[in-house]
Parts: sequence; structure tokens; C-alpha cells
Amino acid sequence: MSVAVVAAADDVQPRLSMREVSRRRAIKRFKWSILSPLIALMGFVLLPVLFLQLYFSLHQWTVYLGSWWDADWVGLDLFKEVLTDPRFGWAAVRSLMFATGSTIGCFLMGFALAYLMYKPFRGQALYYIIFILPMLTVPVVVAYTAEMMLYQSGPINDAITRIIGIEFKPAWLTNPHIALPTVMLLEIWNWTPFSFIIMLAGLSSIPKEPIEAAEILGASKWRIFWEVQIPLLRPVIFLALILRFLEAMAEFPKTWALLQGGPGTATETLPVYIFITTWQYFQISKGAAMSYIVMVMMVVIVLIAIRILRQEKQTLDTVYGNKAAGNSGSGS
Amino acid sequence: MIKSQRRRATSIVRYIVLSLWAVIAFFPIYWMVSTSFKPDTQWFTWPPVYFPDPPTLDNYLNVWFGAEQYAATQYSISSQKPLISLGNSAIIASTSTLLAVLFGSVIAYGVSRYKILSEVRMFQLLMLRMIPPIVIVAPLSLFYSALGLLDSMVGLILIYFLTSLPYAVWMTKSFIDEVPREIEQAAEILGASRWRTVFEIVLPLIRSGLVATFLFILILTWSEYLLALILTKTQVTTLPIELSKYQGSTEGRVYGRQAALAVGITVPLMIVGLIIRKHLARGFSFGMVRR
Amino acid sequence: MTKSKISRRTFVEGGVGLTVANFLPGTTPLAFAASMEESTIAAAKTAGAADVTGMIWSPYLVPMQPVIADFKKATGIGIGGVQDISIFDAPQRAMAEALSRSPQFDFIHIDSNMIPSLASAGYLEPLDEYMKKANFKIEAVADYANFMTYKGQTYGIPTDGNVHIQYVRKDLIENSDNKKRFADKHGKELKFPETWEDEFRIQQALMDPAKDLYGSGSLRNRANGPTWWYMMFYSAGGFTFDDDMNATLNTPAGQYALEIYLQEKKVAHPESAGWGTPQMIPRIAQGHVVTCQYWDGTAKLNENPAKSKTTGNWLYGLVPGSDFSGKRIHRSISSPLAAILINKYSPRKAQAAYLALWLGSGKNSIPIVSDPVNTFNDAWAKEHMKSEAVQKAYSPAGIKAIEANFQVVAPPTYLTGFLEFQDTLGKNLSEAYVGQLPAKDVLKKTDEEWNAIVGRIGRTKLKADLASYKAVMPKRNVPV
Repeated sequence: MSVAVVAAADDVQPRLSMREVSRRRAIKRFKWSILSPLIALMGFVLLPVLFLQLYFSLHQWTVYLGSWWDADWVGLDLFKEVLTDPRFGWAAVRSLMFATGSTIGCFLMGFALAYLMYKPFRGQALYYIIFILPMLTVPVVVAYTAEMMLYQSGPINDAITRIIGIEFKPAWLTNPHIALPTVMLLEIWNWTPFSFIIMLAGLSSIPKEPIEAAEILGASKWRIFWEVQIPLLRPVIFLALILRFLEAMAEFPKTWALLQGGPGTATETLPVYIFITTWQYFQISKGAAMSYIVMVMMVVIVLIAIRILRQEKQTLDTVYGNKAAGNSGSGS
Repeated sequence: MIKSQRRRATSIVRYIVLSLWAVIAFFPIYWMVSTSFKPDTQWFTWPPVYFPDPPTLDNYLNVWFGAEQYAATQYSISSQKPLISLGNSAIIASTSTLLAVLFGSVIAYGVSRYKILSEVRMFQLLMLRMIPPIVIVAPLSLFYSALGLLDSMVGLILIYFLTSLPYAVWMTKSFIDEVPREIEQAAEILGASRWRTVFEIVLPLIRSGLVATFLFILILTWSEYLLALILTKTQVTTLPIELSKYQGSTEGRVYGRQAALAVGITVPLMIVGLIIRKHLARGFSFGMVRR
Repeated sequence: MTKSKISRRTFVEGGVGLTVANFLPGTTPLAFAASMEESTIAAAKTAGAADVTGMIWSPYLVPMQPVIADFKKATGIGIGGVQDISIFDAPQRAMAEALSRSPQFDFIHIDSNMIPSLASAGYLEPLDEYMKKANFKIEAVADYANFMTYKGQTYGIPTDGNVHIQYVRKDLIENSDNKKRFADKHGKELKFPETWEDEFRIQQALMDPAKDLYGSGSLRNRANGPTWWYMMFYSAGGFTFDDDMNATLNTPAGQYALEIYLQEKKVAHPESAGWGTPQMIPRIAQGHVVTCQYWDGTAKLNENPAKSKTTGNWLYGLVPGSDFSGKRIHRSISSPLAAILINKYSPRKAQAAYLALWLGSGKNSIPIVSDPVNTFNDAWAKEHMKSEAVQKAYSPAGIKAIEANFQVVAPPTYLTGFLEFQDTLGKNLSEAYVGQLPAKDVLKKTDEEWNAIVGRIGRTKLKADLASYKAVMPKRNVPV
């Protein structure tokens, strides 16, 4: 866009072209003096890592089998092994379930809280502070605190029993049907503030005019909510969902510190299974093949996510115009 | 009149719902703090003990200062004390964050003013953050061990720097976008170089934004677990890793000490978070929220 | 404690000035007993002074510190930095070390069942040479020293026996009401269990969930489950592999062991599927358990009135056995058996090795295993069994039980790839215990997965390991 603007400037003021040329050259120099160290650094760290990963996924190697550079070439055998491994399949299913469930949970909770709070009221600031606290708790701390609280006669069950007056005794961490949802609840507890913050910012930034106009026209709150607020919030909603989903796919500290994949394999998600394969079984090669598959999967998901986010951002730019989008480009 | 009644009802419902969630949000934190003040007979009991009776500072003295006879850490040597981990965490998190913010803000300036990265590239930069670290950590540790970066602060700083860069670029860009261009144009006409413009005009103008960005990213690097778990050994331990050592074996888990350590890890983060609470949305929203 | 401290110091001085010790009147037996310590010091001096670094969990290290300080005084060899890491995380970290062939740690303090894996990865320094020079022998109870050997070489020095013993609540089993009820129902006398079947009957008869008293306190979680299962499997006459390295879990002995293992659900706390020691040890010490097999160190905790509600209320003895194979076999287990191993890539391996020998002499380790506060290191040496300090810490009955169990102690899969074998089994057992996997499939599935592991690590290689594994298995079926 800057190019277009600069070109336009050229047309208007041809006499500056000499200066413009040197200016453009300077900008280019400026650009590369910023980007080249970044690219060099990424190349320095990421290329060898990706190369090693590829090497290991095509060669059969574990620590017991001599030096890694002498490992046997096995072609795509490892990928075949991983893709036909039901344990890997289940881990993927669990990861997806975990990510989906916790994303939706975080979003609904965060949105509800934000909706109740976006108009000023007494105590708003205090609630805000309390609500963001869970996000400021380190995930490992969440895991260990959860362990302190979630045993069967622990404070959570005990408190609920006292409040509702009926014996409430789920075995949060040891019942294989409940264990994964328990971690999900922890994730929701931990990251609802994230959705809450984004949705609160989104709700408060909606311009008042369309809502007021709708009110004057006699629209019900319900209709205003669905037909005015939600469409305006779409980009923010997508953002909250996508970021949360990606982070939840990668969630490791809580699941690992709390349950290490157990009971049985009830909480063995993809990161946990890769960790076990690589750092407990020391099947470096199989772990590398798994990592590659997961990486490809995640790149695809991220690319789709980026596409959605970009589209939403462009809609936003058209709705709000360039003014609100900041002074992007050199033209404004 | 009906309307005002309805409004009052709504307001009561709102307070009930919000207070309920406030309790849910706060209870685990309360439990952590209260456990850290409990004597060891009250950590794990049937039924649970809600208030430390009597409250004791033993856990803190023991964990942070190695006091008292129980002390798993009593004779511990060299790098293994939490205070040292605290130092490590502080140095690693703040250095990598500082680098990310400095470098990120320059990139952000370039993007904001000269579009040196297209929007697609900007989003692709986010991939650095969004690919789960577990998929690269094994080869990374081999590569690091070849370079001698394993178990060094430099190694962790480098990888934290790279993974927090996307947030730094996006967040500082949102601040730079708000700075009017006229001042820079004036400087440019006066013959100032672009670098001088960045460092002497633009960045000072968004000072508070840089601080917010710094603290925001500090939250993320401070709590990182997996990379620190695998890339460190003896010389360097960050606090979250230190915490996972407090699982007892023959004595049962030492919840009280663990909680005392957990409080120490969490409190700095909460302070930081509360300082920048107004800016959190900006950090997370990648330009999706317009003000 | 004080007594042993003084005498230890005497040895050190003896080591520093051999002549002095030898000519002191009345120290002849002392000097004689100290010879192993002295020769260790003499040999260590040839290696030169150094501060060695290692990977060790601080609860293990703390009681060793005074003993190490003595060695430092005598030889200049002490400890520099350590990585303070839980014994349960140490295997993975050690493998990561082996992976990068890192010279960073001079020694690692770790489950000795990791010896085959780490030795195969080329990480371990054999200790026989050092032991010869220092005139040192591992003087462990029964054949326990075998646990330190792999392919004919010694790779580790034990610091923690960690053998399983049987715990039975004395007050419950000797209660006359209980005795009468039990006799009426089963037509048998209520007494210390000898077989798995006995134990289960007792657990069922005496448990009372209404009073938060459950029959069993044995572990059934994913990480620890296999440790218990092996006792049942071995005692039924089973063994993990045939001579051709095909997994043989899915055999009558395996099925029997699995049945015993899973019936626990009826007498254990509903949360047992997820509980490890952090939850279970307080349960045992606070009196919520009738009987169980557990690591011997818990006896020290039980007998410490400051930390236990059940002091004096325990009977200790041999773990249950089985008649399944046609004759009575008892099999206890030692896992994790903490030992000091030396890194082959370390520039200070000699110093680290001698330090390990110093810590591993029977005499020097008495204060280590009898520390009343840091109770992680458990008795293992012949000398411990006679020591007053140790007897006091475990109670004489506890020591007797430890000695008996040592005679029939077996390892888990003592093979290269231990972690993988162990976790695969643990995962399947845990899945069966929580009902994710039908019991009939557990052993079949484990056999298949184990055979895949064998294929990956190499059948020929593992066949060569098998002899070392069998050498560690106990020779006696019933202790004398």
C-alpha cells in the first residue's frame, strides 16, 4: 500500500522523483537492516531443528543404537507406524476434544461475564481484578493447586456438599471418564479471563449509534444482541476462539504435572504422548515422526486460522475505515 | 416503573452471577495461599481444613530460606535454592522479553510506517507462537547440546525471545499506529535518519505502551514450563521447574512447601498483571479490537 | 547417631593417618572393620582432589552430607553443584544426558533398574577397577549386590534398599472381635497373611469404608502399578520373557497375577486408581489402611510418633506368596532402587567413583539410612541389620521384615529399554484397573507391545541382556 501511495505522490510531484528514488532505496535498506537479523536468527535456530527432526523421522534411532549419525534409513516406515498406531489416534481425538471443549467453555464463560460487565456499574473494577487473577496463575501452579483440592474428600467436593446439602463425591482425578473433563475445567478456569478480556474490550468498543438507533426503532434487547452486537463482534469472537483453540492444542504443563496421561490413558493428549514417546521411551525417531505429523496438522490449522483472522480483520477495516485502523500505510 | 424494577432485577442477577464466578475464580487461589500457611498436619486431611490453625510461616522460611529441620533444601548446595531459581527466572524472563520488545518495536515501526512485512507475513509470524513447542523441543535440545547452549541462560533467552517476538511486534504496532505521523515527518525533513527517528522520537512517545508490552510478555515467559523443563539441567532452573521438585515420595507430597513456593511464583505475576490490566486486551487482540 | 558419628570420624582420622589409628590401643577391631573405608580413602587420594557434580534428589543427599564432608576432609573430594531432581524424573533426565553424551554430571543417583539402558547407551563407567583398587565390596544383604551388575560388570553403588515389605495393622488383626468374626466366617484363624488369597480375605473382612478404613494401601496407579504386579507374577512362577525374547506375560501365571491385581478394587479406596505415594503414605500412617505391601522406608515414618497416628500398631513381615506354581514362592521387589552410577564421559569419574564407594560402605551408610527426618535412604547392607541406630529407626520387627524380603527380592524388567517396558505395562494395567480395557486383553496387548519394543531395540541385543536379568532374580523361594 505504501508503494501505491508513493507512486501516486510521484505522479503529482514528478520533480521530486530523484529524491523519491533515494527515499525508496533508503526504505528498502531500512527494511532489510531490520529483517535480516531476524531471518538469520530464525534460520540459525529453526533450520537445524527442522533438519534434525526430518532426519530422525526417516531413520530408526534410539539411544541404545549407537551414534545418531549412523542410524539406519527406514524411509516412511515410522510415519506408517505412527499413523497406524491407535494410541496416537486416540491421543489426537483427546487433544481435539480437550481443545474444543475448553475453547467453547472459556468462550461462553468469558462472553457471559463480559456481557454482564461492559456497562459501568458499582464494583466493576474490583470484579475485573478478581476475574483476571486465574490467568495470572502459572499453569504448573494451577496443576498442583488442583491436586491439593480435587481429591475425593477435598475442599471442592466438601464445599459443594455443604452448600447443596447432598453428598457430592466425584473422583475428579481418578475416574477415567471424568479425568479429561477435569483438566478441561481447569483449562477453562485458567483461561476464561483471556476470553473475558477480549470480549469485554470488543463489547466496549462497539459504537453506540447503531444500538441506540435500534432501540429507538423499538427493537428488543434480544434482537439488538443477535442482529447488531454479535455481527459487530464477529472478528473478536473468532479471535478468542482461534487463539484459545491453538493454545489448548498445545497444553502440556497442567495435563502433565497433574496426571501424566493417567488414569489409564484417559488424559494422554498429543503433547503428552509425544513427550512420553520421546522423553520416557526415548524412541527419538518415532517421536520425531509424530512431531512432524502434528506439526503439519497444526500448520494446516494455523493457516486456516490465519485466513479467517485476516478476512475478519479486513471486514473490520472496511467497517471502521482506515481512521480506526490506525495510520497504517504512509498515506493518511 | 416496571422498567426500573426490571432494571433492578437485572442488576441483582448480575451481581449474583458475577459474585459466583468471583468465588470460583478466587477459591483456588485462596486455597493455595491458605495451604502455604498451614502446618504439615493440615495439608491433606479428611475432611479438609479451611483455615490454617494456627497459621505458620514455617513453609515460607523453609522453602525460601532453608530454615528449620525438615528442610529438604537445608544442605542443598549451589544452584538449587528457590531464591537462585527466582534470580534465574527473573533474568531469563526479563532479558528475553526486553530483547523481544526492543526488536519487536523496531519491526513494528517498519510495518506500521513502511509495510516492511505484509499483513500475511505478519500473521505468519504468529506461527512462531502457535505451533506447539513439544514438536520441536527434542531436536532443539540435541542442537543446543551440540552448541553448548543446553542448560544455559542464553539458550532459554534465545528461544523465549523468538517465541515472544510475534506478541511484541503485534502489540507495539498497535501503539505505534496511534502515534501521529506529523512529528516523524518533521524530523525526517530536518534530516534525521530513520533509526534516530525510531529511537529518539517514536519509541519515547509510546513509552507506556512499551512498558505494557514488556510486562505482558513477561507474564508469558515467566510461566513457561515445557521448554525450561527440557532445556535446563543444573546451572539454570526456572521457578516453575523448581516447583515440580516438591513432590514428596516417601513422606507424601509436601503441599505446604509447594504452596509457599507457588505463592512466590504467582505473586510477582499478579502484581505485573494488575499493573497492566488495562492493556491486556490489546496484547491479546492482534488489532482486532478497535478503540 | 552420635555414637556412629564419632566412630566415623575416627575412621577418617584413621584414613588420614593410618599409623595413628593402628597404634591406638583398643581400636584394633575398629581399625580392622575400617579397612575398607581406609583403602577407599587411600585409593581416592591417588585420583586427586575435586568437587564432583551430580544428579541427586535433595532428600537423599541431605543425610549424606556429613558423610561426604568427612570424605572431603580426608581426600579433598567433595560435592560441588547438584541437580536436585525427583528420583521419578531422574531416569528420563539421565537418558537425556546419555543422548547428548554430556560430561556435565560426574554421577547420577538413580533407580538401578536403569543400569542396562544407560550402559547400553554408553553412558556408564564400570566400577570394578575402582572397587579392586579400593579393596571394596558391596556387602549387601543376601544377593542384593547383584542388582548392581550388568553383563558381568558392576555399575552402581546402592544407597537405598527400597525393598517392599508387608504391613499389617496389629491392633486390627489381634482384636478378639475381629478374630472371632473371621474364624466364624472363614473357618480360619485371623493372622499375618502368607498368600495373596489370605491377604485379600483379611482385607475384605476388616475393611470398614464407613469409618474411612479400607482394606488395602497398595498402589494401583499407572506409574507404580507394575511394581506390585511383578510381585504377584513372579510369585506365581512367571517370568517376563522366554529364552528367545518373546514376551510371556499372557500365560496362566500372568492371568493369575492379573486377577489378584485387579481384585484389589473391591478393598481399596475408590481413588486408588490415581493415587501414588503422596496420597497413600499419609493414608497408611494415619490409620486408614488394614494391610498392604509398601516400601520399607514407610516403616520409619509409621514408627515416628510426630508424623504418624499408628506408631506401635504395625506388624511387619514377608510379602505374601503364592502356591500357584505348585510350590510356595514369595517374591518381593525393589524398584526404584536408588544407586549411584558414574558417567563415563566425565573428566572426574574416578573421584566420583571413590566418593560413591565411600558412601556405599556398610559402616558409613548407617547414619544415612537411619536419619530420622530425611527417611528416603533405606537399609540394605549386612551391617545395617545389626546396627542399633538402624534398628531404632525401623523398629526391630521392621528390620527383620526387611532382611526376610531381601532374600526373595526381584527386579522389574531388568533390560535395556526398562522405561518403555515399564510404562507400557503400567499403562495397560492402569487401563484395566479403571475399566478402559477388558481384563482379558491386558496381557495379550502388553505381549504385543513388548514384542514390538524388543524388535525396536534388537532381539539379539536383548537376548544378551537376559542373562544379567536372570542373574538378578533371587535364588530362594522362601526366605530362611
